[in-house]
Amino acid sequence: MTLMRMCMPVLVGSLAATACGDSGKGISQPPPPPSGIVLVDSLPIPEFYGIHDQFVRDGLAFVCAWNTGVLIYDVGNGIKGGSPAHPMLVGSVVDSGGEAHNAWWFHNPVTSENRYLFVGQEGPGNIGANSSGDIHVMDVSDLANPREVAHFHRANAGTHNFWMDEANQVLYAAYYNGGVVAIDVSGTLSGDISSRLIDTVSFGAGTTYTWGVQLYNGSVYAIDMVSGLWHLNSSLATPGSSGGGNNEAARYSSDLWVANGYAYTGTWDHFQRTGLAGSLLKVWRLNATGAPVAEDSILVSGVGAVSDVEVSADGKLLMFSTESGPNSGFWFYSLADPAHPTLLDKYPIASGVHTATFATIGGRLYAFGAENPSGAALIILDVTALDQ
Amino acid sequence: MTQCRAGLLVLALGLAGRAEAQRPSVRWGAQAFPALTETNVVPGARSLGEARVLLPVAMLHAAALGGRLRLVATANFEKYTIPHGELAPGNWGESFEDRRHPHTLVHELMLVGGGPHYFVAAGKGFVPFGTDDPMTRPAVLFPVNHHLSQILERAVAMAGLGMRWGSLEGAVFNGDEPISPGSWPAWDRFGDSWALRLTVRPVPGLETQASHAWVHSPENRPGAGPDDRKTSVSARWERGRWYGELEWARTATADGFFVFRSVLGEGALQLPGHRPYVRIERSERPEEERVFASPFRTRRPLFENSILGITRWTIVTAGDAIELRRGMLRYAPFLEASWIGIARVGGGVFDPATFYGREHGASITVGIRLAIGMTMHRMGRYDLTPAEGNTRMTMPMDHGVRSE
Repeated sequence: MTLMRMCMPVLVGSLAATACGDSGKGISQPPPPPSGIVLVDSLPIPEFYGIHDQFVRDGLAFVCAWNTGVLIYDVGNGIKGGSPAHPMLVGSVVDSGGEAHNAWWFHNPVTSENRYLFVGQEGPGNIGANSSGDIHVMDVSDLANPREVAHFHRANAGTHNFWMDEANQVLYAAYYNGGVVAIDVSGTLSGDISSRLIDTVSFGAGTTYTWGVQLYNGSVYAIDMVSGLWHLNSSLATPGSSGGGNNEAARYSSDLWVANGYAYTGTWDHFQRTGLAGSLLKVWRLNATGAPVAEDSILVSGVGAVSDVEVSADGKLLMFSTESGPNSGFWFYSLADPAHPTLLDKYPIASGVHTATFATIGGRLYAFGAENPSGAALIILDVTALDQ
Repeated sequence: MTQCRAGLLVLALGLAGRAEAQRPSVRWGAQAFPALTETNVVPGARSLGEARVLLPVAMLHAAALGGRLRLVATANFEKYTIPHGELAPGNWGESFEDRRHPHTLVHELMLVGGGPHYFVAAGKGFVPFGTDDPMTRPAVLFPVNHHLSQILERAVAMAGLGMRWGSLEGAVFNGDEPISPGSWPAWDRFGDSWALRLTVRPVPGLETQASHAWVHSPENRPGAGPDDRKTSVSARWERGRWYGELEWARTATADGFFVFRSVLGEGALQLPGHRPYVRIERSERPEEERVFASPFRTRRPLFENSILGITRWTIVTAGDAIELRRGMLRYAPFLEASWIGIARVGGGVFDPATFYGREHGASITVGIRLAIGMTMHRMGRYDLTPAEGNTRMTMPMDHGVRSE
């Protein structure tokens, strides 16, 4: 049964925020704890268009900065003496198409190489109809001098968020109106790798426009802006056999994260699909077959989108970012009960946070976020105290 | 800036040796249109009426050296009268949707030099592209195609050749659109865009033009946005009591990923004491994400190149004004009504039926045009060719004004 939280003003940080719902039953939010969020750094990013996403691994932050390209910062790796408080630029590369949106640094367990960085180019798109933008493959063997070595192109569709099955050397990419694609990224990558397409799938009876994808427990979960959360077999050739899909019609869906036997998805309501205000964080229980069943939802008023969702590696802390409204920023929820997240704290960013990701560096948990222009910046928060 | 200086140098050279002892002349004028607009094509399925002072403009034209050197200056005070835009269904641009954006305070500041057969010009003003600014045309509410058919308020340097039968103009300018009514062009972007316009006047009264422009990153001031490739073709008739124009325009954005088209026809007939007019338009526009603070505004600065869809606006507008004069003041009470149809083009999530609660609607505007001094020039043209109609204003107040 879907349960939506009742509107309940709560004070978080210095802002009044509201978590709302339609169940008609008031649920008191716990009083906020002493702020467990510490701003560690706000690193300005050139506004060419600014920062869209960041991938943090091994103390390196790969900042996707649109036409500025990918900026590689040492945020604790040590290669340049950087730390979360003092990121140090290691190198940068501009992909051949510009519009660098997202990235994944591939740690290949088969070859023990960390050679390739996959960069998603978000080209022009007509949301719900068509899109453009390729996957660019960077050789980052020399982090100070990365270079593009390969690219993947799909006609009449453009890429969005990635997930990797590193053990099997497969890159899953959400491809907006192209659904989801699986690409063989084993071995040496060079030139046009479009022929490495393994499989692809589109969703729903109507228009496909897929935002994100994640591999979890051997299944692929995909979030489609139009038709909601889908559960696939790892073989994309047999989509839908396990359920899901066509489960969110009132709003457009956005990002997803799957953890603890639950899926957490956002909605994107800039246009308000059916006139409903605010945006949702939806909670889905995965049943015995792995199919999502709606469990709970949290309505965030005063935002146009829940723009990114992630759960910490220990499964205790849920984070989502919001943008396009007065309640924009980072939101943190306890997953003590993973079916019913409870608000811990919020860090407001007036211009909005486009994406956010966790990283553990030096034993502390950090949230990295992309602050929208004007004032584009990589925001780094120490949220260790929230991860209890 | 280097190119700007070069343009001024060309201007100076063009005038060298032609300094004749002729008296300078100065003309000035001003206008404002207090008006009330009511429409049922409003975000949120409602009706809305607003009273505003539209198109408050002051003009100063100075000439010297027998007209070989001219200053064209126009101040636009919409920054103060419509800071949040003019209610105008279908209008868009500069982060406004369904409201016409206020123009910049320094609307034109152009220095023009030359003679009947050539001219050079530099300053802030109109790019030689497309048709005349809607401000100088019969209808009060702007057409949807303003950002498809004109390029204005740029730092521009241009040169042109004028013949008896027409002219050829070329210009370089900055591609960025104004970001606020008080903004100036991004000077470091001067020269990143260009335009060419060929005008042919085959018979008296008839003027045809074809123009093409390449505009770099108009919607992102730092220059990270996609480019526009724009084309405009038109035929304009103005002779005796009749005025008419047909125009077609096309803008291809991001190497043609998005294409927006427009067809527009309009006409006016001068009758004793009044001048009825009609305009029929079918134009496409991008639908962008509206911001939380206002359903009439879109996000700036941009940080991605996606849109929510494309809509095609079919608008039929008819109006009339009674032209009167009291001393220096010319005034013309007017009534203007539009039928509006909205359709989706090529998919996308934007649905006008959801957003506006309707796909057809109407607007009506009543008001009074007030003006003193010189009549408004044809905004968008700086050539010195003494073609018929080239310096005349096409607004109804300039024809057959009746004294009380």
